[in-house]
Amino acid sequence: MSVLTSRPVLRWALPAGLVAVVLGGGALVTTMQASADVRLPPRSAAQLLVDVQTARLEGVSGTVVERADLGLIALPPGIGGGAAGSSGIDLASLISGSNTMRVWYSGKDKARVALIRSNGESDIVHNGTDTWLWNSRDNTATHYQESDKDARPHPEAAPSGLPADLPKTPQEAADRVLAALDPTTVVTTDSNALVAKHKAYQLVLRPRDTASLVAEVRIAIDGDAHVPIQLQVFAKGDPNKAAFEIGFTQVSFKRPDDGVFAFNPPPGAKVTEGSDKAGADKAGAPGGTRELKPGNVTKPAGPAAEPKSTVIGKGWTAVLVTRLPQDANAPRDDRAAAMQGLLGRLPQVHGAFGTGRVLSAKLFTVLLLDDGRVLVGAVNQDALISAASNPAAALK
Amino acid sequence: MSAVELRARPSTRFFRSELWLIFGRRRNWVGMAVLAAVPVLLIIAVKVSPPGGGGGPDFVNQITQNGVFAALAALTLELPLFLPVAVASISADSIAGEANLGTLRYLLAVPVDRVRLLVVKFAAIAVFALAATLLVAGVGALLGLAVFGGGPLVTLSGTTLPFWAGVGRLVLVCGYLTVCLTAMGAIGMFVSTLTEQPIGATIATLVLTVGSEILDAIPQLAVIHRYLPTHYWLAYTDLLRDPVSYDQVVPGLWSATAYILIFGAAAWARFAGRDVTS
Repeated sequence: MSVLTSRPVLRWALPAGLVAVVLGGGALVTTMQASADVRLPPRSAAQLLVDVQTARLEGVSGTVVERADLGLIALPPGIGGGAAGSSGIDLASLISGSNTMRVWYSGKDKARVALIRSNGESDIVHNGTDTWLWNSRDNTATHYQESDKDARPHPEAAPSGLPADLPKTPQEAADRVLAALDPTTVVTTDSNALVAKHKAYQLVLRPRDTASLVAEVRIAIDGDAHVPIQLQVFAKGDPNKAAFEIGFTQVSFKRPDDGVFAFNPPPGAKVTEGSDKAGADKAGAPGGTRELKPGNVTKPAGPAAEPKSTVIGKGWTAVLVTRLPQDANAPRDDRAAAMQGLLGRLPQVHGAFGTGRVLSAKLFTVLLLDDGRVLVGAVNQDALISAASNPAAALK
Repeated sequence: MSAVELRARPSTRFFRSELWLIFGRRRNWVGMAVLAAVPVLLIIAVKVSPPGGGGGPDFVNQITQNGVFAALAALTLELPLFLPVAVASISADSIAGEANLGTLRYLLAVPVDRVRLLVVKFAAIAVFALAATLLVAGVGALLGLAVFGGGPLVTLSGTTLPFWAGVGRLVLVCGYLTVCLTAMGAIGMFVSTLTEQPIGATIATLVLTVGSEILDAIPQLAVIHRYLPTHYWLAYTDLLRDPVSYDQVVPGLWSATAYILIFGAAAWARFAGRDVTS
């Protein structure tokens, strides 16, 4: 005490020390995790693929975080989330920012995904033949019942009548996947990692085509359960930080309690019965983020020109050319108008294909042509422009 | 009854007088009346024009189903500003208020050990944080139940909890928010040792709190978000999920503990060595 009385400055050592302990403690945990013992029996890429296929999954419960850092400007909330109100997923948060989900899985007929928002939640609960969609924001529950005759047979329950060329063993399937990937992709393994406190193997896919914006894709596979628990996509020129990643931050492979799959619509909620087809449709494309596949483009309502799409190039540098549905172009409300304003700020390009605007992100580039055509690819702007000059891109 | 005997027995007299200072002052009554007015206004508003699905925060839509939600909605509305204002003014007043009135030197001349003074002041701040939270929640819950009636509590996950389990969740929420606000009170108490102007300390504490909330809303600063004192405050909604998620609540409690320890120690470092002239 006498030292402290004569030199009061020394007292500040206590709060300063506490700050150091708190910050240093956090850093220490990170370092310890980075240098933790992640030794696992060595496995080749083919062996890992076999492991993944033969894994018997009892159940999973955990938290999944999706993070995107695509180098795009963060959009103000409300813009870009076309269906945010109804489904709870904001499209804007998928391309910049992060989403947190809690997932539970117990066998084929019990699964639940909860999308966490700061003061709400959207759930998809599947239990037996019932599927419920719940949204706390508008207090709605939608019920889909799968009738028994529509019930999809379990893959292992239909061993007969398969085409002869289907792989017989997981080993064969793994070999075929690797063979199919080989012309475009280098498949290797990397040093093991620690994901969600689980030791994990790392499978690395690297495009052979150097024009691709994707530098590599890393898939972490749990060392014990042999289940993929993290996927990271690294952009060219930024090898330290994943441009997109989705993975567990906390995971347990114990079978979750059956209680988490029980869902009864709460009193006061708006309950709608949906047809099974629409259910599968909606569950497959949450938030209207339905992938545009070639030949599978939804027709717009009305007499607009029939949209077509085509793919130019192959593998990692393939460019998708499609036509936006016309009704999506018409400004309907303030949000669409704001979107138009944002598009107007994108850099403009001219060429034989006409004029258009370019949206460049770390992993992909989008070329929006003024005539309504859209080109998307994991390539840079020049490659997109040359694809746009390709006669096949005219969509005629 | 000698003086020696009196010293040996730890007395709660100082703590009781401190609580009386906080809860007996008329200005604090007015402050608490403002806190209690928010759930009252909210319930009147919902009763007059029930929210028609969608729009407001998720809790407000539920009030007409279960009055307990009025408590949660009121806490949600008051958490960004009203509750921090209340705790900031009380905690900033703790040392600077005594110094400003000129009573600090008499208090130390009693004599009260400076460490004990800080501990008692901090304990009183914690009690006030609890009282403020319970006041908002209590007024909201009781009036909500009286106007809209009770019932099972609908969690954010869409499942229903029995009435008393729902009340239990509300108590957990109050407990968590009390810890969060107490951490803010520790910052306020430290600021209070720096000055003799309680109003200055109040404003400084509020600037820190609101500034932290603003920084927390800027996505480009995501790197520092988890170090901000208010970052985990909204995690109380995780207590209303089914099953309860502790992914944010547990770090929130650690963060609050760290802030209490660091700013409590800083307040001691400043106050124990300071010349008290007023």
